[in-house]
Amino acid sequence: MPQSKQDKNIERSWPKEGVIRVPAWIYSDPDIYARELETFHYGDTWNYVGLDCEIEPGGYKRSWVGERPVLVTRTEDGEIHVMENRCAHRGAMLCWKNSGKAKDITCPYHHWAYNLGGDLMGLPFLRGAGGKGGMPRDFDKSKHGLTKLRVARRGGSIWATYSDDVPPLDDYLGPEILERLDRLVSRRPLRLVGYSRQIVDSNWKLYWENSRDPYHATLMHPFLSTFGILRTDGDYDSVPLQEGRHEYTFSRYNPELRNSTSEASRQIKSIRSDLEMRDKEVVNSVVDEFQDGMMGAFQVFPTILVQQYFNCLVIRHIILKGPGKHELTWTYFGYADDDEQVRELRLKQSNLVGPAGFVSLEDSEMLALMQPVVESRPDAEQVIEMGGHGTEAQSTMMTENLIRAFYDFYRREMGL
Amino acid sequence: MISTAARWGFNVPPMGSAEMNEWVRVASVDEVVEGEAFASERKGEAIALYREGDDIYAIGDVCPHETVRLSEGWLENGLIECPLHQSCFEIRTGKVIEGGAAYEDVACYEVKVEGGSVYVGEGRRP
Repeated sequence: MPQSKQDKNIERSWPKEGVIRVPAWIYSDPDIYARELETFHYGDTWNYVGLDCEIEPGGYKRSWVGERPVLVTRTEDGEIHVMENRCAHRGAMLCWKNSGKAKDITCPYHHWAYNLGGDLMGLPFLRGAGGKGGMPRDFDKSKHGLTKLRVARRGGSIWATYSDDVPPLDDYLGPEILERLDRLVSRRPLRLVGYSRQIVDSNWKLYWENSRDPYHATLMHPFLSTFGILRTDGDYDSVPLQEGRHEYTFSRYNPELRNSTSEASRQIKSIRSDLEMRDKEVVNSVVDEFQDGMMGAFQVFPTILVQQYFNCLVIRHIILKGPGKHELTWTYFGYADDDEQVRELRLKQSNLVGPAGFVSLEDSEMLALMQPVVESRPDAEQVIEMGGHGTEAQSTMMTENLIRAFYDFYRREMGL
Repeated sequence: MISTAARWGFNVPPMGSAEMNEWVRVASVDEVVEGEAFASERKGEAIALYREGDDIYAIGDVCPHETVRLSEGWLENGLIECPLHQSCFEIRTGKVIEGGAAYEDVACYEVKVEGGSVYVGEGRRP
């Protein structure tokens, strides 16, 4: 893609101040974007592709790794496979439905047929028709299966990689993420609650930063502070992990906060006493199902943010669609043994998040408007100094340490 | 779900039915030669006839995987191979060879030769 004249003149080197500055060209440069895909999504990482409760035996779901469409399948014996949703013949997209059951996968273009393990079972007119045409005698079907990815599972979560060198999934995630992931997906069999999907017209990193940015949370999302879910004076941990690759944030849910207005909260304009919620069940009827009073989120690089808001459990999956666009798939889940009350609560509380969620509606709107502005000044720099210059863990919302930690990691991996 | 054979416009033979066996003329003996499938029809059911020496066999001719006539495929070592996805069926029994795209057998028909004609009875799955 040709660059504008202005673009060409920008020096592609990181600002001398280090991770307290982020150069704006990384949000639009097509070469940087292509390198990110190769280095991260198609490189030495584990990519989240789905939950086991989404696929029955003899079934499939579509997912994505980087920009590439993949199929997650489950054979009748329960084994999970991940393969490219791309015919080995001419590259047609094999499967156009998001999920379903199938005995085999047949390409709509020339009807090449694969089993759920991705092996080529047959292709029309291998031996020609009426003694004419057909494939050469030495054509070997066993060498023309779908491109298969390595698969790993943890609890009900499914992961895939193109890499032979990436560490085993457990090591890649690290003990802190494992503890938090297991808390949500490994203790009880999962149940799919539903999906939301949205296209966000921004570079994926703007979203990645957004969910590492507690500073904006009470300011841009008035719902949080207005209804006392999150207060600037509450306990809040912002912890970078695996050299900045992953992170978690954690807060202790305090029902008392809803009734008190402290000095710090008073300073935030968005707390309005004239607003009232007609149906308070969204935030009031909470079942403390983990028996730890915690709410939190964690990011697993490079694909997901996993979040627990009260009884709403949701995975935000970031799917890349070019330098200035990504898709966000929200997978809401619960547990197979949820009773009727908890099923209702999860549905009701799912209103908190998603494309029109009470506490996430503003993010994609903000970022879509931000992208063209950022693109218009690729020579500009972002200022990332809240909470100091360091990348260590902090116990406050008023910090950008997680963004600095991410770019510390990013620069090392990208050689920038 | 409607079967592929029914969608194709052929009647589906009853499974193991105990109906009276009705013999239908489907070919003259000369038409069925070794090394080739002879495509025919019995009361709307697509069938194919095969010869091995003095014996003649008749099996269903629509692949249970994707609608196509098996007789247009490849005949080798007592197996007919589907032209679309290479599923193989035993010409003597209609039995599918496991591991291919098809996982159901095709029907097998009783055959008798009388006065230079080939007759087949009701189809049965092996």
